[in-house]
Amino acid sequence: MTTNKNRCVVTGLGMISAIGSNVSECWQNAVNGVSGIKTAEAVDTTDCYANLAAEVHDNTLDDICGTESINRVSRLCIKASGEAMRDAGLTDFADSPKAAVIMGSCVGGVSNAERYYKSGKSAEYVSEIPISPIANHIAEVFHAGGVVTNIANACAAGTISVAYACDLIRSGKADIVIAGGADAFAAVPFAGFLSLRALDAKPCSPFNRCGGITLGEGAGALIIESYEHASKRNAHIYCDVLGAGVSGDAHHITAPRPDGKGQIFAIRRAAQNSGIDPSEIGYINAHGTGTAKNDEAEFLSLHTIFDGVGSDLSVSSTKAMVGHCLGAAGAIEAVFAIKALTEGVIPPTIGYADEDMPRLAERAGKIDFCPNTAREKQLSTVMSNSFAFGGNNASVVFSKNTGNIVPPAKRERVFITGIGTVSPIGNGLDNYIEKIKERKPLDNSSAESSVERSDYDACGLTNAFCRKLDKFSRLQAVSGMNALADAGLSVMEDNTEKIGIVVGTSDGPLSTICDYQQDLLKKGNSSGSAFKFPNTVYNAAGGYLSICSGIRGYNVTLTNGIQSGLASITYAVNIIESGNANAVLATGTDENSEIVTELYDKMGYFADSEFKLSDGSTTLVLESLSGMDERGAKPYAEVLGCGTACKSGALKDSESALERAISFALDDAGITVDDVDGIVGFANGLNEVEQIENEMINNIFAERAGMVPVFNIHSVTGEGRAATAALSAAHAALILAGKLGNTVESENLGGIEASSLKNLLVVSYGSGGVYTAVIMTR
Amino acid sequence: MNEQEIKVKIKDLLCDRLGVDPNELTDEIPLFDDGIELDSIDSLEIIAGIDEEFGVDMTGVGKEPFYNVNSLTAYVVKELASRE
Repeated sequence: MTTNKNRCVVTGLGMISAIGSNVSECWQNAVNGVSGIKTAEAVDTTDCYANLAAEVHDNTLDDICGTESINRVSRLCIKASGEAMRDAGLTDFADSPKAAVIMGSCVGGVSNAERYYKSGKSAEYVSEIPISPIANHIAEVFHAGGVVTNIANACAAGTISVAYACDLIRSGKADIVIAGGADAFAAVPFAGFLSLRALDAKPCSPFNRCGGITLGEGAGALIIESYEHASKRNAHIYCDVLGAGVSGDAHHITAPRPDGKGQIFAIRRAAQNSGIDPSEIGYINAHGTGTAKNDEAEFLSLHTIFDGVGSDLSVSSTKAMVGHCLGAAGAIEAVFAIKALTEGVIPPTIGYADEDMPRLAERAGKIDFCPNTAREKQLSTVMSNSFAFGGNNASVVFSKNTGNIVPPAKRERVFITGIGTVSPIGNGLDNYIEKIKERKPLDNSSAESSVERSDYDACGLTNAFCRKLDKFSRLQAVSGMNALADAGLSVMEDNTEKIGIVVGTSDGPLSTICDYQQDLLKKGNSSGSAFKFPNTVYNAAGGYLSICSGIRGYNVTLTNGIQSGLASITYAVNIIESGNANAVLATGTDENSEIVTELYDKMGYFADSEFKLSDGSTTLVLESLSGMDERGAKPYAEVLGCGTACKSGALKDSESALERAISFALDDAGITVDDVDGIVGFANGLNEVEQIENEMINNIFAERAGMVPVFNIHSVTGEGRAATAALSAAHAALILAGKLGNTVESENLGGIEASSLKNLLVVSYGSGGVYTAVIMTR
Repeated sequence: MNEQEIKVKIKDLLCDRLGVDPNELTDEIPLFDDGIELDSIDSLEIIAGIDEEFGVDMTGVGKEPFYNVNSLTAYVVKELASRE
């Protein structure tokens, strides 16, 4: 039985979708088989073969105080999160550093890209285009002071949010989390799925006609707490969240593996991590999109796992009513699964005519797919599954029982064993070491990395593969493959599921997204490019890296500003410590282009003349001590501790969060500030940012402030956002490993004897007032 | 538009829209499988491109015309000729 210490419980639910403005309305309509699918209103469907969508019609959305300037996706999220908070009997976290926000999204505020171009490039729309602001708005409204980030794994994002929330709680990094997902209906996903011929001209009919998806929109939110936190405040507990499973297909950027291997691994891993037998699961809220490829793969994986295990399994897809809400889907479906569990009612899959029934009977076998009408059924354990673009699979278990979750016997030590990098000063580790020693300042205010045929050849990437990738994915593929090679880590059938990928990005494939939107405005929503569309999703880069490396373990893309490149390391450590991988590629990747430079200019970044925008990708191979020892690998450095904290959802007045993040990292590392021998900082030429860093140094080091060396790579590499944050971590590892020479140049104290440095503190910031700190040791 | 002009446009389309390396793209090399290794998404892009460029709708057409540049060219030439 899971000990109380390892229990995560759900104490609040919130939802908004096409079939209701709150959980109760949505649930009643789902149970009654009411469809929210209608003719699309928010997107121009002229000349499109499909014109349906499941849109939210809620006139209170515009009345949420203080949200006038923010994108619809965040307003949907605030609405659902507010309901979940009230449901849990909570109003405000009062900046508690143990209160976290993990939100999933696929397209974020992409409708602001449309507004930006339609308005003749008005600056007011720019900052809300990326996904990052969503979690920050939630943190701002409810004053969450802990880990605040977004999961950007397309259609699996909402499910992975729930999984990560529980990992944070079980590792002691959070007591309470608002976890969920949100997406708003927009032209880019509509035209994109249309171009792939993946939209159904009729309302989608999962596990039946399989004519395609119908897009929806909405948000789902869950309050997940440690059992101890919930019981201390006498909260009503809906159920426990048991284990989760996350995997990558390593197969295709849009299509699931026909053999269902990735899905099967995620589902089995979720059951295994829960300490339950799959036969105990009574209901699965399926991914059930309604495309032929998805539904076939899902029938196969469900039959493979559940046939012959003596289970009485019911499965349904609520997408038939609420549409495919992309990054919100996993969260909305988690709420439906929990309602099914607690109400003892299974919502139906609607859309079956009498003549469809024999075919369903044939395909369903002994599994009950709940056609058309809800079923009463006593349930003790349920599952929610999401399978996404990029080949990302996620599965999570909710139960009235406590399961049998067994945490790893001891905390794994985590080491950096490989580094790969692409930056404007050149590609590859040897090149970086040479150039960073020269310390030649970057000339231009905007610089770009480039990857060439020779880079692909060097890491064995073929033309046939690379031609599909946009710049964002190419940067990631090259740095990722180089890091694997540097670590000497071979991906084989017997270790592939124990290797993970965590991509951190500030802005995702921003150029591709804006370029796609511009094409649509020129040619119409019926003329989207099928070739380009898969690259508009943030997790495409992680998906391609999984494909070219063959890595099939945990696969996640997180995004919340620049610090995402350092947050990926903390996430990776969490995956290794929780026993979900032996090795993880933790990355920071962002791209620059004419479009990205224009957008940063609109946001006023170049007003500080020292600010230099750049890009790149850095991948660090993080490995457990046991994994590293087993293959005789040599580490650069050890990751001793990590901490993240947030204040106010905006940079202004957020300084205290940086000091809190550092204090968490020190605690986590089991050292004090006196043990810190140097800092690798985030100052990037912006006055406000520089002041925050200086103030922190003065505050935490007090009288030592002037004596602690500060290292910084921004003047040489530019602000490549997540790429530079991850490269700063790599820089620390290289110093500690003695790879940058016996004497390393600091910003404030000149040359420093490398051997005098034992523990280095790496810090990074996000414009939402979120900071990550990582302690590395020799 | 003569056959050669059509072929050039088809090659441009494959290179511009699908990132195919022009040095690799001979008239005969198979576009799918062991040749250029295009996939189902690429075929949707080719259909959209041929429609946009020549006004020829290839939706629902079998695999054969997609075999290589020559077969695509032949299909477009035939379709355009049948309209004259």
